[in-house]
Amino acid sequence: MVLTIERMFVILFLVMNMDIKNKLEILSDAAKYDVSCSSSGSSRSGESGSLGSAANSGICHSFTPDGRCISLLKILLTNYCIYDCAYCINRRSNDVRRAAFTVDEVVDLTINFYRRNYIEGLFLSSAVVKDANHTMEMLTEVLKKLRTEKRFRGYIHVKAIPGASEDLISECGLYADRMSVNVELPSSASLKLLAPEKTATNIYKPMSQIATRIAENQEDRRYFINTPTFVPGGQSTQLIVGASPDNDLTILKLSEQLYNNYDLKRVYYSAYVPINTDKKLPTIQSPPTLREHRLYQSDWLVRVYNFKVNELLTEQQPNLDVNFDPKTCWALRNLNQFPVEVNSAPYDMLIRIPGIGLKGARKIMSARRLSNLTFDDLKKLRIAVKRAQFFVLCSGKHYSPVKFDVSSIAAALLPEIQASESSLLYKQISLFDTPSFSPSPFDQLLLSSDVHTSITGEL
Amino acid sequence: MIKDYIYDGTFEGLLTTIYYSYLDKDEVNICRLENHIPTLFSEIINVTTDSEIFEKVYRSTLKKLSTEVLRNIYYLYLSEIDGCENLIYSYYKLCFKCGVSINLAKNNDTIIAVDTMVHKVNLEVHRFTGFVRFQEIRSLVFYSPIEPDHNIVSLLSTHFVDRFRDQYFIIHDTKRASALIYNKEEAYLRDFTSHDQQLLLSQAKDDAYADLFKTFFNSVNIKERYNPSYQARSMPKRYWKNLSEYQ
Ligand code: SF4
Repeated sequence: MVLTIERMFVILFLVMNMDIKNKLEILSDAAKYDVSCSSSGSSRSGESGSLGSAANSGICHSFTPDGRCISLLKILLTNYCIYDCAYCINRRSNDVRRAAFTVDEVVDLTINFYRRNYIEGLFLSSAVVKDANHTMEMLTEVLKKLRTEKRFRGYIHVKAIPGASEDLISECGLYADRMSVNVELPSSASLKLLAPEKTATNIYKPMSQIATRIAENQEDRRYFINTPTFVPGGQSTQLIVGASPDNDLTILKLSEQLYNNYDLKRVYYSAYVPINTDKKLPTIQSPPTLREHRLYQSDWLVRVYNFKVNELLTEQQPNLDVNFDPKTCWALRNLNQFPVEVNSAPYDMLIRIPGIGLKGARKIMSARRLSNLTFDDLKKLRIAVKRAQFFVLCSGKHYSPVKFDVSSIAAALLPEIQASESSLLYKQISLFDTPSFSPSPFDQLLLSSDVHTSITGEL
Repeated sequence: MIKDYIYDGTFEGLLTTIYYSYLDKDEVNICRLENHIPTLFSEIINVTTDSEIFEKVYRSTLKKLSTEVLRNIYYLYLSEIDGCENLIYSYYKLCFKCGVSINLAKNNDTIIAVDTMVHKVNLEVHRFTGFVRFQEIRSLVFYSPIEPDHNIVSLLSTHFVDRFRDQYFIIHDTKRASALIYNKEEAYLRDFTSHDQQLLLSQAKDDAYADLFKTFFNSVNIKERYNPSYQARSMPKRYWKNLSEYQ
């Protein structure tokens, strides 16, 4: 089976006569909309006679002009696709340059980039060529060769192809550090609209399978230390933001479920980049990066700060505020829990104060063991006092320059909005100007002169 | 009266100096020989490095303070920031006066200064685990020039040796004319001049993968998300000249 596939590709390449540079150009360009770049979550030391190691925190090797980090060689095995997902550059109806790597080409690029310290490892994905199983087999082939023949110990992130058989996914996971199945569209309605050939089952089945296998593997490894690892860096996924009318509440609720039910390490949010013109897609001029940013902030709050999505958004307020970060919004809605005494508040409450992050909270816990902290001390601890000042007490004293009520604090915190951002949001929203999709970010901009109402919705 | 204690620039020399200056009642200014600018108002004391005294200070730091304090001091020394010796001096005094727990006082000015510097050094080490670019000189012999702000090349050793056990490599700090060299058995530091560099590079062949990486670098970029300030914040421009993809 494997041989015939290889032979098939050899023939294909002879015909196409494409050199490696062209392929790399096409297949990294085609992979770039996958935003996950992290090489974290796996820790593996080197071994004599082998190449590579994995650092738990992940390492960035370069930064492209869009400000994103290059950590992994992020490529598609091929961009020939049998599907026609509306938002995707590689859909079969698009007239784009197509290419396919051979297994050896990917292995060679990975090893040689790695030896030059360009990358932490490989992020291998693929369009669906022929069928899901065939594609998954090819991906596995690459990983197997890297791990066994080349004794490569660097990081590998691989896509599980929706619809591929359980056995294939299980085998591939033995060689990977991280696996991901991209959900892409946050609701089945949007899936039907934009990727009608894909089904939710095909996406969530491999995800749950991988989650189960990871859990089993961790259990096994507790008793049998030599059990080979299965996806030790965990599972992640990606959601596209702004290609469908789903609101932030839907998106974050989904993420929360994914974290809880499938034990995902990360959910990535990818601001939709308008690459295709399709009447099913919104016409936007630039990707909604501010919205993406707010989603990431909320994701942090849910994942690390122990917030519940319900605390951040409600059915009445289903979209994140453009003007304020989600923690500030929450604090303004829950002003009755403030101001908080920094010299006695528990850690869990400290991290809920706008302007105090995990590091800041840890510094406060540490420093206050020796003496009571003053407001000046907070500055020295590099707390963002500009935001925190409204919400804290230092030995009972409140240092807020304005009255302690929502409208005064909100007015004092209000940023200046750039015209470009607002026009961008307008474009994005206007398309979905339907009752089912409440155009709240734009509303909030409109209301920014009277901003407190946009935060609480009740004042 | 200010006393200028001049030492040879080695860590041994620095700890020897701390020992001699510790009980000095005058204002102490510790300075590397190469950085010293004599003034009319200071008395100059040239310190001779003494390995026995170094050992003594080293051991008592470990015993009476902690490994963390010793590591902080070493990192401050490697930072090569103006005045790092004087900061080390006041840090020592503070720790001996108040005990190691003073390190918890994240609002103390000396502790803030120490933490900030140590953080900078750590950050740079972390960055350079990614920012080193090897060029293949001969089969499985790799060379990378770097120009870090701090003297971190020795701190890169563990990471790179662990990762690249089966290849020879040289990481060359061109600013400090020193290099970390790994010969598949052990890693060591040695002086490495621009002459050594030229000699080495004259044998080098063109490395086709540098070109391929540049291709990759250019095509994974999303033009619609152009954000150069973010790029420069994560990867400061002063590092760019040794990164092949930026050339
Ligand atoms: S299956 Fe994947 S590669 Fe193919 S069109 Fe859909 S999203 Fe694009």
